[in-house]
Amino acid sequence: MSAYRFVTRVCAGALVSAGLWAGAAQAAEYPTKQIELIVPYAAGGGTDLVARAFADAANRHLPKAIGVVNKTGGGGAVGLSEIMAARPDGYKIGMGTVEITMLPHLGVARFSVGDFTPIARLNAEPAAITVNADSPIKTIDEFLANAKANPGTVRVGNSGTGAIWHLAAEALGEQTGIKFNHIPYDGANPAVTALLGGHIEAVGVSPAEVFSQVAAGKLRILAVMADERSKTFPDVPTLKEKGIDVSIATWRGIVVPKRTPEPIVAALREASRDAANEQSFKDQLAKMNLTHAYADGPEFKAVMEKDDAFFKTLMTQVGLAK
Amino acid sequence: MHEIDLLLNGARTLIDQPMALLLALIGVALGIVIGALPGLTATMGVAILLPFTFGMDPLSGLLMISGVFFGGIYGGSIPAILLKIPGTPAAAATAIDGYELTKQGKAGIALGTATLSSFLGGLLSVIVLIFMARILAGFALEFSASESFALAVFGLTIIASISGASPIKGLIAGFAGLLLATVGLDPMGGFPRFTAGYTELFTVPFIPVMIGLFAAAEAFKSMEEPEVRGALKTALGRIIPPWSAFRGVIVTILRSSGLGILIGIIPGAGADIAAYVAYNETKRFSKAPQNFGKGELSAVAACESGANGCTGGALLTMLTLGIPGDAVTAVMLGALTLQGLQPGPLLFQDHADLVFTLFAGMIFCYVAMLFMGFASLRFMGRILQMPKSVLTPVILALCIVGTYAINNSMFDIGIMLAAGVVGYFMQKWDFPASPVVLALIMGPMAEASLRRALSLSNGSYDFLYTRPITVVLLSAAALSLLVPLLRGLRKSGGGTAEPPLNATPGRGH
Repeated sequence: MSAYRFVTRVCAGALVSAGLWAGAAQAAEYPTKQIELIVPYAAGGGTDLVARAFADAANRHLPKAIGVVNKTGGGGAVGLSEIMAARPDGYKIGMGTVEITMLPHLGVARFSVGDFTPIARLNAEPAAITVNADSPIKTIDEFLANAKANPGTVRVGNSGTGAIWHLAAEALGEQTGIKFNHIPYDGANPAVTALLGGHIEAVGVSPAEVFSQVAAGKLRILAVMADERSKTFPDVPTLKEKGIDVSIATWRGIVVPKRTPEPIVAALREASRDAANEQSFKDQLAKMNLTHAYADGPEFKAVMEKDDAFFKTLMTQVGLAK
Repeated sequence: MHEIDLLLNGARTLIDQPMALLLALIGVALGIVIGALPGLTATMGVAILLPFTFGMDPLSGLLMISGVFFGGIYGGSIPAILLKIPGTPAAAATAIDGYELTKQGKAGIALGTATLSSFLGGLLSVIVLIFMARILAGFALEFSASESFALAVFGLTIIASISGASPIKGLIAGFAGLLLATVGLDPMGGFPRFTAGYTELFTVPFIPVMIGLFAAAEAFKSMEEPEVRGALKTALGRIIPPWSAFRGVIVTILRSSGLGILIGIIPGAGADIAAYVAYNETKRFSKAPQNFGKGELSAVAACESGANGCTGGALLTMLTLGIPGDAVTAVMLGALTLQGLQPGPLLFQDHADLVFTLFAGMIFCYVAMLFMGFASLRFMGRILQMPKSVLTPVILALCIVGTYAINNSMFDIGIMLAAGVVGYFMQKWDFPASPVVLALIMGPMAEASLRRALSLSNGSYDFLYTRPITVVLLSAAALSLLVPLLRGLRKSGGGTAEPPLNATPGRGH
């Protein structure tokens, strides 16, 4: 009987160690087949283009190619859930976005920020306050004074309720005690269109999304919600300079499911760093007016956790949290 | 005319670039195939092609993308007419009368008219884009939430004219579609409605439902027919429509192209809405509205010229203002930006040469589409000779592959098959499928726009009568609902009043 047990234990032990060894060998050779990069948004959009530019650059640093797969729906929830639920073997990685830290609090996602291991942040865009160039309001101080004097009448367009630019405007309102009339649109583009047509007073979208209109003199950026001034618009002040501590940005970066083995995470981090520093990748982002904002895994993790806590508080305050 | 000089210069530059022309041809051919396959739409074709154009020079890349765009809008009509399978949402309107024509043995003429109308609609829209871009650009900005709401309400009244034999059944189908359209994320609050916890249902899976209702239902129906070995009992017939038939649809094409261009300019409204509105207006102005739904050639012409008229309109808004007129141009906006061309007011100043070369190339794309369309129709028409035992499984396989391709989602395939079963019974009991599709397009637009308009006006309903475009569109909606009703009343009123007059004293006369 005891001999039988012994044999069983030996067998089990052998299997486990073989499995571990195989796992280690797998990691050492990683990747041995094509890697799938899940993008939770539609082909042709900003997140998709960043992902494709990254895949092109990364293919020069990995023995196997990265293929982009778009899994859209649920404002990103479908694709992000798929990344979370993927087998943690490094062959299905994902393009994580700031929505990882927002959707769980809206009560529409099965994942939370802890379900992902961050690999590298690639891009980040701050929120900004932009008005029509015909508007009599020239500075952010005037804008805030006017909004304070007329509570609930200043209409600020955003890219959808609970989306990043809505929360940016809400955060500004919370910090300054001003009541805005938030108007959700189906994405940032329609909101900018409404601002151009004079149907709303301001938008809270990123400078990249209003770049061409600002360059043409149709719109005016009053302030960016970032720690530092934008390199594209160095004349535009930050809210911090005006004594308002609001700094909100959207970001995009590579994430993997949380139980991915450490050697694979290390291999991906190295490849991502090399890819993100490729000149071709930087050029591609610059062409799209996007900001290159590489951050390695641990640093990226800190950003994610900070945002997660921030959005949880903010969404509870404004009544969006479930 | 400053523009003509620029255009001629553009044409001269274009001729020196055989590679760009070749890529444009490839783009158009790809577009026609993408449009013809159910599930694959022009939007998707452009998005998939986009990364391949990164390495090309701006002219080649943008012309190839334009080719896919134009071809994709046109290609949807081919399976819609031959098999009642709309390749794109816009072609769902074409299928109403196009497939009836096929059943009457006039598939060739229907396809020929569709090709010619697509070409003319598209060409006219590009010409408007070239010469009137600056004048019309402001129109897009006039459109706010209240105008979009009025347009959507007007669009919903079209249900009455596409209901076919029984308006009551059409209304039932339309309202069922509206109810379906309430599934998903609330457009203002952002919370999920009727999603049963499925994140996949956050947006109504519109294209899977359409493929199911039309294509899968048609395939299920043909399974129950005993003659599986026989082909459809119709021939293709002649392709180029006879002048006598074509002369009758010229006015329709002009009107529909104009409508298509205007709808294309409006942000957020695309080829699908244009096709339905063009159908509706053609029926309204027709001398024989009772023929619509039974195989009316001008209906096919209207839908196709309306849908392709949209292309130039949508490009106009995108190029002059830097705001996309529909989903396809939203992706094209990215393509332009990546090529270092910032769409918007400065584009025509800074890159006039390239822009006008591009315009010349777009005209080339449409001419190429005309010839490729006509050349391929004979071949496409062979589908009609295929035995049903082969055709039906192929159609079902295409439905599944096409549906999966939209979002890479198995969930959508389930939705498509369920819609197919529902569509099968709708056909059996004579409920038309197009009102459902129309309601799914217009319903969410109407809801989101109304609530956004109310939010913009701080809850006041004044926008319903203070904004001119809104008033015009809402009046048009009221008219298109009331006129058939009044006409019906007058007819039935006259019907009851006349017999007694003739019955009693009339006998003696």
